[in-house]
Amino acid sequence: MKEKIFQMINTEAFPTPFCPGCGHGILMGAVLRAIAELEYDMKQMLFVSGIGCAAWIPSPHFKADTLHTLHGRAIAYATGAKLYNPKLKVVVISGDGDLSAIGGNHLIHAARRDMDMTVICANNAIYGMTGGQVASTTPLGSITTTTPKGNQEPPFDLCKLVEGAGATYVARQSVAAPIPLTRILKKAISHRGFAFVEVLSPCPTHFGRRNAFRTAYDMIQSLKNSCISTEKIRGMSPEELLGKITVGQLVDKGTEGGRS
Amino acid sequence: MPIQRKKIKSSLAPGWYFMQGDEACAEGAIAAGCRFYAGYPITPASEVMIRMVQRLADIDGVFIQMEDEIGSISSVIGASWAGAKAMTATSGPGISLMTEAVGYAVITETPCVIVDVQRAGPSTGQATRPAQGDIMQVKWGPHGDNEIVALAPWSVQEMYALTIKAFNYAERFRLPAFIMADEAVGHLRETLVVKEEVEVWDRYKAPGLPPFGTEERNGVPPMPSFGEGANLLVTGSTHDSWGFRKTADPAVQARLTERLVLKVRDFKDEVIETESYFLDDAEVGVLAYGFTARAALQAVKRLRNQGMKAGLLRLISIWPFADEAIIKLGKKCRVIFVPEMNRGQVAGELKKYTTTPIISLPKTNGEVIEPGEIVEGIRRNMA
Amino acid sequence: MIQVRFAGLGGQGILLMGEILGEASVIEKKYVGQASSYGAEARGSACNSDVVISDSWIDYPEVTEADVLACMSQGTYEQNKTKVNASSGIIFFDSQMVKPDPASSLKHIPVPATEKALTELGNRMVANMVLLGAVVKALNLVTEESLRQALTSRVPPSLLKLNIKALALGFELGRIREI
Repeated sequence: MKEKIFQMINTEAFPTPFCPGCGHGILMGAVLRAIAELEYDMKQMLFVSGIGCAAWIPSPHFKADTLHTLHGRAIAYATGAKLYNPKLKVVVISGDGDLSAIGGNHLIHAARRDMDMTVICANNAIYGMTGGQVASTTPLGSITTTTPKGNQEPPFDLCKLVEGAGATYVARQSVAAPIPLTRILKKAISHRGFAFVEVLSPCPTHFGRRNAFRTAYDMIQSLKNSCISTEKIRGMSPEELLGKITVGQLVDKGTEGGRS
Repeated sequence: MPIQRKKIKSSLAPGWYFMQGDEACAEGAIAAGCRFYAGYPITPASEVMIRMVQRLADIDGVFIQMEDEIGSISSVIGASWAGAKAMTATSGPGISLMTEAVGYAVITETPCVIVDVQRAGPSTGQATRPAQGDIMQVKWGPHGDNEIVALAPWSVQEMYALTIKAFNYAERFRLPAFIMADEAVGHLRETLVVKEEVEVWDRYKAPGLPPFGTEERNGVPPMPSFGEGANLLVTGSTHDSWGFRKTADPAVQARLTERLVLKVRDFKDEVIETESYFLDDAEVGVLAYGFTARAALQAVKRLRNQGMKAGLLRLISIWPFADEAIIKLGKKCRVIFVPEMNRGQVAGELKKYTTTPIISLPKTNGEVIEPGEIVEGIRRNMA
Repeated sequence: MIQVRFAGLGGQGILLMGEILGEASVIEKKYVGQASSYGAEARGSACNSDVVISDSWIDYPEVTEADVLACMSQGTYEQNKTKVNASSGIIFFDSQMVKPDPASSLKHIPVPATEKALTELGNRMVANMVLLGAVVKALNLVTEESLRQALTSRVPPSLLKLNIKALALGFELGRIREI
């Protein structure tokens, strides 16, 4: 498996630009492992990304067609490519700011259209590349460079957002659970129609150090503690669920294949 | 240049048609091989979209109405990399939204056609009224240096013919090519004569060669498509000839930005197109483009009848700019009048190339310039 | 070359008159320029539909000085009567809708388009086609056949019969008024 995965990457592009402790490397590995296990041909795949740290996961690292687009526009570019060549297996990988703030309009409309593509949102709850500004996904009260007294705006629940917009597959998982994550990515990538996976990925450099996480390890531990699977959540009281994050498959609607 | 030039049967049966400018533009696109259209409703360009919906359905092309103009141009660029000849049409407000992506198409060398049916601005302005106010915007809108092609049709016939040319230039130079129409020519209905064949240029393919660099300083590299196994690395960041990002390498940045400009400037004569009327012995020059040039032609004829030695130079291409034709015009004439539906955008550009006095005849009340107004403007200034 | 302007209110079918005459002229391999202007409201605003017809390329395709004005409302009559060629221009007007200016020295031809559409066809909506038929016939702008052919391509099939009848009514009126 390891060899197979190395054949799927442009090793000359290494090392990756990710900081020590960043979750995006784990996500990169999980995406590749999912594709390898599905035995998809990388030559028929197109990876589209926007701007930001997560946009570097596929481009320039994946040995496949990659399209590194403008900030926020990855889904719109992907829509054009998929519609013209429906044989392409299209996977969008980008960050929370890119996909849900500047690119939020394309996100909800692609979900509404049930565009046949997989959108993987690496959510680190902050703008990392530009120096740690508040995002549309930053939790209430968190310290960022633009919310020095704590974030006053409630964050998006991205999974509920795309579900409401019409996505036919929705899931959430964290990089702290790489094996379940890979399992979910396999389902999402092989789903026909609009599939959305929110992947919680820690940013120790810009989020952690301003918000009382001493190390990257602390952030991973925190994710492990707060994430609860959709199976375990049954029967838990609202008090027990306070501050918890539901992970696992949230929506899986049968679809005739989505728009392509 | 290893671009494929071929004559193909025209998609419309040869003959005479009574057609609106916007519709003729769509027909030109279909004739040129456009098989992907993304758009967003906007007056006065929506008729292009309506025609494209109907025509693309006939020939198994792809149409999508996107959520905004940014989405339109973005999906056009995505489709172009998937192998399509692709187009969008809009008006000033839409061009404003698309501008960042135009820069992306320039740096990634993505062929595409953008139709701008200009309306009175700034901002929302007067949506149903004509203007020529976007001439500088399409050239200088995106940040950084930006070489594009822009053509200005003056008739329904040219809405058809120049749209075909715009697709050809987009492929030849790998860049966004603009049709600078306006509400008057977009909504005008006229006789369109369709000939048996059209000349269409196809994308240069050379598997194995780098898609983003050439040995020459002014070359146009071949363009693979997604799904061909090329492992394409397309990025709007500065990149080497294989597409690897070089975000801090001065040599790569210098070489790329130079080539993006020289690949057009060094071959500008392939695009630049002008027409002269009564210029042989002209003392009073008129320079005009687009719909305004038709009023200017009438005006020049009237002035000739009145004994004034007036002549017209019409710009068919706007960008790259017809510098040599302007130098010649400046040497020939004592004065050059420039009527245009803006506050002197092209009049100002002329001053780069000639010391002959330039007199701007601007009109920005949302109405077309009529021949009588040009005659009067010239008479007033020559008195 | 001849410059024709149709004028009236939104909803009277003014734009269609220009389009049909334009189309009919192209059927006869003529060069045509046809442009319309109208207000933002779909109904009730003043609108013009201009047609320039020529045997050769037309430099300027919009009406600069109308040879013919065909008018269906008082307001647009007042707006446009000064834009008609002072020496040779002709004004056709819907006699029920327009009261001509007695001081005008221009040739005025009344056409009872609305009246005939109501009394003979029971539908005032096709008054535009009655007036168009009359103008085309009186001035021999295009043949009846070309006009019918152009109409067929632009009117929904369910309304075609009624419109063809209206055109025929117009041709009758135009024949009487032949000049």
